[in-house]
Amino acid sequence: METILQRKLPVAELVEKATDWLTDTFAVLFNVIQSIGNFVMNGITDTLLFISPFLLIVLVTVAAYFLGKKKWGLPTFTLLGLLFIYNQGLWDDLMNTFTLVLVSSLISIIIGIPLGIWMAKNDVVKQIINPILDFMQTMPAFVYLIPAVAFFGIGIVPGVFASVIFALPPTVRFTNLAIREIPTELIEASDAFGSTGSQKLFKVELPLAKNTIMAGVNQTIMLALSMVVTGSMIGAPGLGRGVLSALQHADIGSGFVNGLALVILAIVMDRFTTAINKQGTSQQKGGKVNKIIGLVAVALFVFAGLGRLLLNNQSAAGGKTVKLAYVEWDSEVASTNVLAQVLKQKGYKVEMIPLDNAIMWQTVADGEADATVSAWLPNTHADQYKKYKQDLVNLGPNLKGVKLGLAVPSYMSVDSIDDLSNQADKKITGIEPGAGIMKAAENALKDYSNLSDWQLVSSSTGAMTTSLGKAIKNKEDIVITAWSPHWIFAKYDLKYLKDSKEDFGTSENINSIARKGLKSDMPEVYKIIDNFNWTQDDMQSVMLDINNGTSPEKAAQKWVDKNSKKVNSWSE
Amino acid sequence: MKKLEVKHLTKIFGKKQKVALEMIKQQKSKTEILEKTGATVGVYDASFDVNEGEIFVIMGLSGSGKSTLVRLLNRLIEPSSGDIYLDGKDISKMNAEELRHVRRHSVNMVFQNFGLFPHKTILENTEFGLELRGVPKEERLKLAEQALENSNLLAFKDQYPSQLSGGMQQRVGLARALANDPEILLMDEAFSALDPLIRKEMQDELLDLQDRVQKTIVFITHDLNEALRIGDRIALMKDGQIMQIGTGEEILTKPANDFVREFVEDVDRSKVLTAQNIMIKPLTTTIEIDGPQVALTRMHNEEVSMLMATNRRRQLLGSLTADAAIEARKKKLPLSEVIDRDVRTVSKDTVITDIMPLIYDSSAPIAVTDDNNRLLGVIIRGRVIEALANTRDDAEEEQERG
Repeated sequence: METILQRKLPVAELVEKATDWLTDTFAVLFNVIQSIGNFVMNGITDTLLFISPFLLIVLVTVAAYFLGKKKWGLPTFTLLGLLFIYNQGLWDDLMNTFTLVLVSSLISIIIGIPLGIWMAKNDVVKQIINPILDFMQTMPAFVYLIPAVAFFGIGIVPGVFASVIFALPPTVRFTNLAIREIPTELIEASDAFGSTGSQKLFKVELPLAKNTIMAGVNQTIMLALSMVVTGSMIGAPGLGRGVLSALQHADIGSGFVNGLALVILAIVMDRFTTAINKQGTSQQKGGKVNKIIGLVAVALFVFAGLGRLLLNNQSAAGGKTVKLAYVEWDSEVASTNVLAQVLKQKGYKVEMIPLDNAIMWQTVADGEADATVSAWLPNTHADQYKKYKQDLVNLGPNLKGVKLGLAVPSYMSVDSIDDLSNQADKKITGIEPGAGIMKAAENALKDYSNLSDWQLVSSSTGAMTTSLGKAIKNKEDIVITAWSPHWIFAKYDLKYLKDSKEDFGTSENINSIARKGLKSDMPEVYKIIDNFNWTQDDMQSVMLDINNGTSPEKAAQKWVDKNSKKVNSWSE
Repeated sequence: MKKLEVKHLTKIFGKKQKVALEMIKQQKSKTEILEKTGATVGVYDASFDVNEGEIFVIMGLSGSGKSTLVRLLNRLIEPSSGDIYLDGKDISKMNAEELRHVRRHSVNMVFQNFGLFPHKTILENTEFGLELRGVPKEERLKLAEQALENSNLLAFKDQYPSQLSGGMQQRVGLARALANDPEILLMDEAFSALDPLIRKEMQDELLDLQDRVQKTIVFITHDLNEALRIGDRIALMKDGQIMQIGTGEEILTKPANDFVREFVEDVDRSKVLTAQNIMIKPLTTTIEIDGPQVALTRMHNEEVSMLMATNRRRQLLGSLTADAAIEARKKKLPLSEVIDRDVRTVSKDTVITDIMPLIYDSSAPIAVTDDNNRLLGVIIRGRVIEALANTRDDAEEEQERG
């Protein structure tokens, strides 16, 4: 007799179904939102980037001076902070992040304030919305990313979607609170003199609630900023990508610099909103400064936008843009950068989008990205390939004979997976949970009876290499999920464990896959990607350069320059 | 001419209203009903009318439903049942549009804590009602400035409420209501948040104003003295029900039931039982410091012809008449030589009937002192006679009923 408690309720399946249904039913709407969103946000970012960074820095500093009651602290900090970001070459990322935060905050305010007003006016609505807000704030942000990609693909739009969900609650809560906190007597006075609902709202409630609402808006902006890093996992451009890639490569320096840039942006935005709020409430003519600054900003923006349009029309659109998706593994960073260099030389604009593995597949299948050269087949990505096979074109291997498996430092006595018993605390140090090799490792844990009580610990590629380095330094046991080509094999003395059950595959290649229709849209690009192939040694040389501190772009450039003959053969 | 007629007005808050109504018909108390049903009786079956140009005071202890009642009149609180007729039109049956018109043109309100908007200047506050009406800017500015002028506040028109004293703020609240030129003014404990001195001033001002503008005013207060001072007629409330309506005189002399009697006695009769209830503040001169001229100046200022003489520790030494002070001034004598040391004293617990024979044959007031001979107050003839008259009336009534 089976009770309901013993049977697992199909909640996950239901959510899947609901999401699928939503995706199918509102596909047109989502696409429209996505196109509009992309158009608007890319427009804003491009316009901001069109303005000379120095002009922008000076203007922001001047605004800070007038907003901050002509004290020197804020303008000095703004000037130095922005110059530092510019100096570190993060200006484009900063503008992208700023656009993302600005749009998310605006949408949150536009939705949040009316919702908060409604909540304050109606107890039933409050009862309904409050738990939803709690849910929104406590649900881990990663959970939103999945439907966000299903609805809006990758890029800045799902980033905004996730940010809005995460950042909306404070504005709603504070608005509700502020309006409910207004003394009853003032509301009664307003009613007693015969105000209509809207008169009461605009003449009494909103002016009195303004400060608290602004505090909520400030919170919203900060939360939107904190979502930037999370959003970059699904292709939102900006400073978050730098942080994320630093995490995946265990690159503490660049992670710190990107993080610092975010901190500077956060402080500047926080101080600005606080100052704007203070100015409006002081009982002198403080609002004037706000108005002037606002007008100057809008005028500059419009002017720059027009200028950009004019110039664009004159220089008849440069090259077409090719979107290459990849995963932040060292091997894929190397190959994608090389391919990007080649395409750039041919006059294309190349957008490289770092994504999580599963999302990368989905993205190419949906046609959101043009191609990827990071498909490990037939085993590692077998699941994804099965799922998306009919929606993409497999262009065959670009690197043959890669190897996957469990690897250990040479000083350990084990030689095959069968020999493992209780080494390394019975832990296998893995990488990102979505990666194909992790799937293979899970299968191995099931297949090998001696691994039945072992654990697979997921982290990130960078964290895995860091753990490996530490273990070798201390002569400790460690078992990792490894693949080659990889620079760790050049740097450390490692060995693969024999895989008698062939869970990690026997012969594995890295393939190139492209979206359907790329061939007819961009035949030249298609041809280059189709012909793109190189060897383990080629790849390893680029990887080593990168690992020794050369930037991926420069390392790729160096390799392309050295191997011009091979490169030229791709486009023939 | 009846301006406002209220008929069987009832307001019950919360659930189970029917049960609560049943219970209140059985004369159950408010607390009992609340415990049993969770419903609060705000106002029950209130009927009264207010005449054109009269000040109608609604009085009661806190929780008696008087504030609810006044809010029912302009429907800030929706009545559960009953009717309110303004010039024969039933306010309680109006739709939102008509009600708004009434609130904008006919009935305005002044609040206990002034209800001024902190983000608006005094002038903006004053023209608020006109602004809601959609009166053109020029015109409403003129009307608002006129209203402020009438209450001598025009100089403060660009200040914010937080920069004004309580009394001034309440004058702004009143000016705001009057700028609208309403037919009826509802005043909800308008002076309760002010200190006693300002309060008295405001009462006088209101009476002056009423002379000039002749508005119909419904005035809420918990203070019997205030009610007696300004009310043409008074309604006394308890637990949401009106106990009695009448002039101040009627309420004091013919209380309708025990509650009213006790309420009125609280104010009057308990004060007549012992010396400390009827003594008034003594006017003193400290003879070790003051000279005759200071004493005479004080008599002149206080409009009296006699002071009690004390030492620095406020111990009673005697009394000083104006004649004695003048004599001292002529002969350059210190006051200690001319005071009359023969003063009758009683302790603060002396019962009134014992004071009676003492005061009968002395024109000078009797001093009330404590064990250390310190002066607490004085008792003058008038107070004793008044107090006695009250107790007599009560005694006679007792006999009639007995």
